[in-house]
Amino acid sequence: MTEMVRKPFSFNRVLIYTVLLTAAAVYLVPLVVMLLTSFKTLGDISSGNLMALPTHWTMHAWHKAWSTACTGVSCEGVHHFFWNSFKMAIPAVLISTGIGAFNGYVFSKWRFRGSDLIFSMMLFGCFIPFQVILLPMAATLGKMGLANTTAGLVVVHVTYGVAFTTLFFRNYYVGVPDALVKAARLDGAGFFTIFFRIMLPMSVPIFMVCIIWQFTQIWNDFLFGVVFASGDSQPITVGLNNLVNTGTGVKEYNVNMAAALIAALPTLVVYVLAGKYFIRGLTAGSVKG
Amino acid sequence: MSRLELRAIRKTYGKAERETLKGIDIDINSGEFLILVGPSGCGKSTLMNAIAGLEDISQGAIVIDGTDVTTLEPRDRDIAMVFQSYALYPTMTVRENIAFGLRIRRQPKEEIDQEVQRVAKLLQIEPLLDRKPSQLSGGQQQRVAMGRALARRPKIYLFDEPLSNLDAKLRVEMRTEIKRLHRRLRTTIVYVTHDQIEAMTLADRIAVMKDGELQQLGTPKEVYETPANLFVASFIGSPAMNFIPVTVQKGDRGLHAMVKSDSGETIDLPLPLALSAYENKEIILGVRPEHITQIQAHKEGQPLVARGRLTIEVTEPTGPDVIALVNINGIPVHCRIDPDHPVDPGDVAELMFDMSKTSYFDPATEQRITL
Ligand SMILES: Nc1ncnc2c1ncn2[C@@H]1O[C@H](COP(=O)(O)OP(=O)(O)OP(=O)(O)O)[C@@H](O)[C@H]1O
Ligand SMILES: [Mg+2]
Repeated sequence: MTEMVRKPFSFNRVLIYTVLLTAAAVYLVPLVVMLLTSFKTLGDISSGNLMALPTHWTMHAWHKAWSTACTGVSCEGVHHFFWNSFKMAIPAVLISTGIGAFNGYVFSKWRFRGSDLIFSMMLFGCFIPFQVILLPMAATLGKMGLANTTAGLVVVHVTYGVAFTTLFFRNYYVGVPDALVKAARLDGAGFFTIFFRIMLPMSVPIFMVCIIWQFTQIWNDFLFGVVFASGDSQPITVGLNNLVNTGTGVKEYNVNMAAALIAALPTLVVYVLAGKYFIRGLTAGSVKG
Repeated sequence: MSRLELRAIRKTYGKAERETLKGIDIDINSGEFLILVGPSGCGKSTLMNAIAGLEDISQGAIVIDGTDVTTLEPRDRDIAMVFQSYALYPTMTVRENIAFGLRIRRQPKEEIDQEVQRVAKLLQIEPLLDRKPSQLSGGQQQRVAMGRALARRPKIYLFDEPLSNLDAKLRVEMRTEIKRLHRRLRTTIVYVTHDQIEAMTLADRIAVMKDGELQQLGTPKEVYETPANLFVASFIGSPAMNFIPVTVQKGDRGLHAMVKSDSGETIDLPLPLALSAYENKEIILGVRPEHITQIQAHKEGQPLVARGRLTIEVTEPTGPDVIALVNINGIPVHCRIDPDHPVDPGDVAELMFDMSKTSYFDPATEQRITL
């Protein structure tokens, strides 16, 4: 029996692993190159090959990218932009996820005349390209007095993200048996009590999905950042762009790479910490009740 | 202990073109155990949800203890419901599940603890109080669902197929337990089931529904022995009642009907004189399988008893009886035979017809002919 179960060597296995490992390597090479380059000196870069280890490991490029590199006129590195991104992303993620949870709850458990139509129209929001809303949004932000502010960016990202978060939560809550809501109503719970005491506690997986999705979208956004923010409210993506495009003469690849890694770090961390929920939340639609 | 009156309840769902409830009128006495049966989709759950206040009704009134509650919210009706799917709150422990309704109603903590203890003891779920629903077996979840309903001591309990997800043995156990609970608490209960035995054993009265209409309301005995129409007759009882269309004829010894066995032999079935209005007309005999049996000496010579020779086609031993299939007038007919009188497929057996318990139906109206 055991021989049949354990096949120590099979052609298929080897093939599968070879393909997977190759694919992983292909995807990892750019990251490795970036990491290696960010720890090299400029001299090392111009003389050596891309994949070679640094002859002399140094944090100099990271320091410079963080606090002294020039991004346009000022030369203070990207750290302001980095914190700006947090100031924008955290409230935007939380608000859009919260609104999405509430919308999803209403669209799945408290349907009313026309609620399906409204839901379809919200879904439409998922398919509207960024470019289309630039001008109207700029005008709206101007009227609200939020042009060129972090709060303005938060408004933009919340507006845009609610379509997605509503879709996520609504589909998740459709899988929750209606009998739960009925039982709670008979127990005397009202609309909000059911939302906060019954629905939200069972929403951890879909919260994780929404948070990862929204955080990645918002953190990586460049277009809204470059259009709706200026100066001290610009996010890290804009900062990175400025850093790479400023600078005269010799290209400081090591500094560029370090700055790019700084810009990518938070989304990586979020994935590592919450990634398993992402998979789980996407696959496990319903709740065992 | 509360009286529940359903007055001419009508319900049409928002987008549906057909009416789901077409005027349901039932008075449920205080402390009564009412069982609701009917085919799938006939509106049982809809009626339960309407009573609970989870669905609005289109017309009619729901009255509890003389108070019209038709427009009240579920929480203000003081009704508890046990769902087929149990609907336990998955993120709460058993204790929290049971206490939830009491907490919402802001009862003092000591009272809640006491109540949880009382209910847990009653249902023997004390060791489970700190578990989550996902860590319980189906039977245990079912108990917790009942516990949640019992905790508030509401005026009325609604059970919507509470046992249908349990295996056969557990179902019998819980059935007994529910009956015992009802004996003790004497609370008004409305209970939906698909299970014949559950209906017959638990009910004070049974309400049979079809297509949103009440077909018959009566004690289990009434519904079983004097079904109001062909539908009730065929729905209640397993194996189902046999229906044999015959023509009422007048003979020298009173009314009778002639039927033919599969071999062409004529069997003469005596009919009560009360059917004289149907002389030379067609009626449908409704004969329960237990009234076609082996020859029983003590019934010999009684007025509404007949004999006939029939070929046994199939036998199904159930343990206490053997259900045998024969053919009368070309219609398959089930009989119930004592296993001590062995019959085998292919045998020609002499069977006894006890017509004193037969129901008679008008083929045109499908209604019972009351004698
Ligand atoms: N929310 C709804 N909207 C529209 N029609 C509905 C809705 N709920 C139920 N119905 C319809 O009403 C009818 C009665 O449904 P109901 O659930 O009351 O049947 P039931 O007697 O409980 O059946 P079962 O024995 O299968 O549980 C069905 O035809 C069903 O399709
Ligand atoms: Mg139902």
